[in-house]
Amino acid sequence: MSRGTSWRLALRLARRDALRNRGRSILVLVMIALPVLAVTAADVVIQTQDVTGVESLDRRLGSADALVTVEAQGSPVVQFFDPYDGSGTVGDQGTGRPPTAEQVSAALGGARLVETHLGAVNVRTDDGVAIVDGTEVDLRDPLSRGLFDLTAGRWPTGPGEVVVNQALLDQGYARGDVLGLTDDGAPAPTIVGVAESAESRTYPVVAGPIGSLGIADREGDAGQPSWLAGGGPVSWDQVRTANALGATVLSRAVVTDPPPTSELPDEMQGWGGSSDDQMVAVIVLVVVMALLEVVLLAGPAFAVTARRQSRTLALMAATGGTPAQSRRVVIGGGMVLGTVAALAGVVLGIGAARLLLPVLQHWSNTWFGPFDVPWLHLLGIALFGLLSAVLAAVVPAWIASRQDVVAVLAGRRADKRPSLRSPILGVVLLGIGIAGSAYGATSSSSGEFAIAGSAVVAVIGMIFLVPIVVVGVARLAGRLPLSPRYAARDAARHRTRTVPAVAAVAATVAGVVALGIAVTSDEAQNRETYRAELPDGMGSVSAYADEAPVDWTQLRAAVAGKLPDAQLTPVRGIIESSTPDGPSYWLDIKAAGVEEPDRLLDSYGSSWGASTLVGESAMTNLPIDVPEGVRQEALRMLQSGGVVAFTDQGVQADELRLELHRWEADSEDESVERLSVPALMVPVALGNAGPQAILSTQAAKRLGAPVGVSGLLVSGPITRAQESAVSEALTATDTSSSFYVERGYQADNETVIIQLVLAALGGVLMLGGTLTATFLALSDARPDLATLAAVGASPRRRRWVAASYALVIGFVGAVLGAAVGFIPGIAVTYPLTNGYSEATAGHYLDVPWLMILGLVVALPLLTALIVGLTARSRLPLVSRLD
Amino acid sequence: MNAPTSAVLRMDAVTRVHGEGATEVHALRSVSFGVHPGELVAVMGPSGSGKSTLLTLAGGLDSPTSGTVSVEGTDLEGLGAAGRARMRRTSIGYVFQDFNLIPALNAIENVALPLELDGVRTRTARAAARAALDEVGIGDLATRFPDHMSGGQQQRVAIARAVVGDRRLILADEPTGALDSDTGESILRLLRARCDAGAAGVLVTHEARHAAWADRVVFLRDGVVVDETGADSAEVLIDSGTPR
Amino acid sequence: MSVKQALLALLEEGPRYGYQLRAQFEQRTGSTWPLNVGQVYTTLTRLERDGLVVGAGADDEGHVVYRITDDGRDAVAAWFTTPVERTQPPRDELAIKLALAVTVPGVDVGAVIQQQRSATMSALQDYTRLKRQAEGGELSWSLVLDSLVFAAEAEIRWLDHCEARLRRAQIERPETLLDEILTEEADEEARR
Repeated sequence: MSRGTSWRLALRLARRDALRNRGRSILVLVMIALPVLAVTAADVVIQTQDVTGVESLDRRLGSADALVTVEAQGSPVVQFFDPYDGSGTVGDQGTGRPPTAEQVSAALGGARLVETHLGAVNVRTDDGVAIVDGTEVDLRDPLSRGLFDLTAGRWPTGPGEVVVNQALLDQGYARGDVLGLTDDGAPAPTIVGVAESAESRTYPVVAGPIGSLGIADREGDAGQPSWLAGGGPVSWDQVRTANALGATVLSRAVVTDPPPTSELPDEMQGWGGSSDDQMVAVIVLVVVMALLEVVLLAGPAFAVTARRQSRTLALMAATGGTPAQSRRVVIGGGMVLGTVAALAGVVLGIGAARLLLPVLQHWSNTWFGPFDVPWLHLLGIALFGLLSAVLAAVVPAWIASRQDVVAVLAGRRADKRPSLRSPILGVVLLGIGIAGSAYGATSSSSGEFAIAGSAVVAVIGMIFLVPIVVVGVARLAGRLPLSPRYAARDAARHRTRTVPAVAAVAATVAGVVALGIAVTSDEAQNRETYRAELPDGMGSVSAYADEAPVDWTQLRAAVAGKLPDAQLTPVRGIIESSTPDGPSYWLDIKAAGVEEPDRLLDSYGSSWGASTLVGESAMTNLPIDVPEGVRQEALRMLQSGGVVAFTDQGVQADELRLELHRWEADSEDESVERLSVPALMVPVALGNAGPQAILSTQAAKRLGAPVGVSGLLVSGPITRAQESAVSEALTATDTSSSFYVERGYQADNETVIIQLVLAALGGVLMLGGTLTATFLALSDARPDLATLAAVGASPRRRRWVAASYALVIGFVGAVLGAAVGFIPGIAVTYPLTNGYSEATAGHYLDVPWLMILGLVVALPLLTALIVGLTARSRLPLVSRLD
Repeated sequence: MNAPTSAVLRMDAVTRVHGEGATEVHALRSVSFGVHPGELVAVMGPSGSGKSTLLTLAGGLDSPTSGTVSVEGTDLEGLGAAGRARMRRTSIGYVFQDFNLIPALNAIENVALPLELDGVRTRTARAAARAALDEVGIGDLATRFPDHMSGGQQQRVAIARAVVGDRRLILADEPTGALDSDTGESILRLLRARCDAGAAGVLVTHEARHAAWADRVVFLRDGVVVDETGADSAEVLIDSGTPR
Repeated sequence: MSVKQALLALLEEGPRYGYQLRAQFEQRTGSTWPLNVGQVYTTLTRLERDGLVVGAGADDEGHVVYRITDDGRDAVAAWFTTPVERTQPPRDELAIKLALAVTVPGVDVGAVIQQQRSATMSALQDYTRLKRQAEGGELSWSLVLDSLVFAAEAEIRWLDHCEARLRRAQIERPETLLDEILTEEADEEARR
């Protein structure tokens, strides 16, 4: 028999068998098609919403052939074919002046240029002030066509008119209104139309002719124009010419049809490659784990198929068939079902993505691109599905080909005794996994990958141990009541079906436990290392001078307007920078004559607007947490013209040297004022987020330090609603201001969500694995159930047996998985919680016992309950009827 | 006919129809039939004559389309599924052609199965099972699993399971079908002995040689009783009581 | 049935007189085949004529004792090693009865078969009862009973078979039934 005909026979047998056993076939199809479907749908959605390269050109270029942007003051630049992928200046010898439109036009071969200005503008809205994407360009020029899509009204005809998108209208504007630009000297254009940006969907956008938004009038780089270029394709050589002038160019022709990468400038050659290896490692790990999971989930079905066919196969062997031929019949089943499942999964996945996209678009901030089916990816995904089905069939096929022909023909149903080789291999792999995890835990860099890799090894090792564990459980089951005893023994007798199911559950639980430990430990670290900036419940207002000095009277009024009962305490401190154009300061405090340690504090903060406070009032009015004795001492020190400094380094000193550094704007020059003053050292705990010192008013004056209001303390309690009301009021007054309310450590929502997702994922996979194995076992146990019925089992007994089966699989899997999951889980906490600074150093381990208990105890019980309730309670009749 | 009160199993005008319309098959047509304590009745007939249907109806595994089946004076139909199951645990014992032992349970557990299903404490159930195994002569194989037993040994376990807990109706479906003639004979001898000790037995077989072990032989053809030997009730009652 | 060989086989165990031989034969075959003393003596005389046994004088009570000769031993050995021949179908009354029943109009062949089967079944039950009583007794007797059991069983199976053929034939062509049964019979014999 030639190879081809032999496969044809195997595939024919497999196809017939698949059609005859519809239930089991559908089970396998679902197991394999579902992940294929999910990944396909996700891939299509990602590819569709991801607007890259060629697809993005229209929304970035409109109808133009290129977009020229000036990056620097005339310094030559280098760029990728698409400057979004990376660009930068090289050297600093240049003209020192940005290129003019004529220069750019000449560089691009005499292209027609349309000037455009891009920038954020502040717009007054119903709630305060919104930051809006502004575009100044002649919207009626053919080159700009495609950037915006007019949906209502008309295009602007002069600098006094603009169009906005629906998102901005939603914030309190209507067509015909005057747009309230809050930037200094900004014009007040009228909204004459509604136009949607090609890119942004929910983010507010405004566009108008040059000068309509005041962006072009801005000083410095902010006012630098970009150009849309038209008049023919722009070549890579022309791009390089423009680069030399200090302009980056996004050329439609270059991006659509990029030259070979060797054409890239040398500076760009090595970019972006560094993270690829890690990325590949992560993808490989994810694919391996997913494959393993799918294989394990589909495995039991093939085990049962192989067992059902065992008589056929034994007869084949008895009539001279080779083991290879037997194998082919079972693997053929994998190929047939895998092919159907993969194709169905891909087709349904594309359909699902198509249906999902409108829904997802609703949630997204940007417009999706055209429906994009990445056929090459999908081919890979389909192959993955096929491969998982074939792999799932391999072990049953191998076992089927080695079966004892005589025993099968004599009607004995059990699997062979487990060999000793696989547990030993399992122990070895588990050992490697533990060693790898230990290595990863102690290694300094990218230990996570070593741990993730060894986690996969450990899980595979565990799979080899499952058979003896299952057999061990069966041994211990002798004293159990009938149903669990039967379930445990039967599970052990049919290991080819039980082991993959248990392993699937175990692998899931291992993953969930490992990730759970990692997430909770990370969370524990965050909680432990959290330092409150203020006493609980208190709030503080801070602001910095970005355009003009901060007007604290206005801010105070804004807060008082929302919180009339709150007590407001201004904080005085050294204002390190009072105006954008004025000088800036930095105060350095050193212990005189102390060399080591050279700093007083490991860290300090400026939650009250300044890192150095000034005056006695700081000690009396502010919530600085020191013992009363120290407070009195500190007050005396401040009255006598000294300084109160905090230290977490245990520095002892009676006198401190103050160094006030001062820089003028736009100047590298630095002047230093030095002063030695008597000092009181106040020890604080590591991780300090408060100020570094409190200066007496006299000392500040002698030092010439600029003293002023740096912040505003707001007494509590402050509700969340009040907090957001105050924030809005403050932003409307001064966009640089911010409001912070100390509420103690707040668990990251993400952590909770991740834990929930983990638990849900674990639950779903466990349910899937358990359900498959249980119902396969039940259909397999038909003769036994018939016998039970004949000797008087009540119909309910079938439910008990089903529930026991689910319990055995779920419980054994969960316990094993949890045990194995601890290895990478604990290991990964080392690299994960290893802080960089001294204050956060140390190892945090927090095991989510509740979640693990839920996985190991509650979930198997729940699964058993579900199985018990959903199992048919009708016992089969004695099968032999003549 | 025998007095209805004394019969362990009574079937009155039992009809069983499988399927409907064009595919309708009459498995049994108005069969009446009784088995008394100490009596072994053989049911003979070719394949498709309704032998097995008769047995599944007698054990309450299936319900008649019309007519009544009563065991120890109780109408099975009136009991409901749970009641019939209890009946099988306490009053009826099945013996099958292919033994139908549960491979995941060892010999003693298989025998103790009906008792355990009935909620008897494990220890008590095992003691009773041990006694039953001793009775069929394989007490020493109590902890063996069915896969490690010969056919005859398995069938002995099955018989022990059918009689454990003092059940009075034994339904045997071709119990010797999978055995060689000598082993089969020893199984029949065991069955006969149980009936001589007071149980009522129904033996379904297509072999006259095996049917001859019965006190009465009922011939089934196409679901109808066509003949009966040794039907003389008086003689049967006298015969069954007196040792020969 | 060869009384001649059976007597020779008994004599091989030692010299015996006629009455003894008859008693032992009946004991070993469970009186299945009754044998009268006259038949025994006639047979012995014939055996003596053929030189297979010799008279060994009379015993104390005057019974004439016979002893087997070497030729006689050879004959016994030959008998045991030669299979019983089945070339001549035994004249089976039942077969003839059935054959006639299917050809003679107005006879209910089914009833004939049914009746016969009941009778044979009763016999079979009797044999089985005897077997149960003989439990632990002599093996030779038990084997003879088995032979009767199997013969009766074979007859019932044959009757079953006839019945099935009869039903099929009623649907097909009734006129050829006799031929069919007879050919079937011949085939069956030939196969044995």
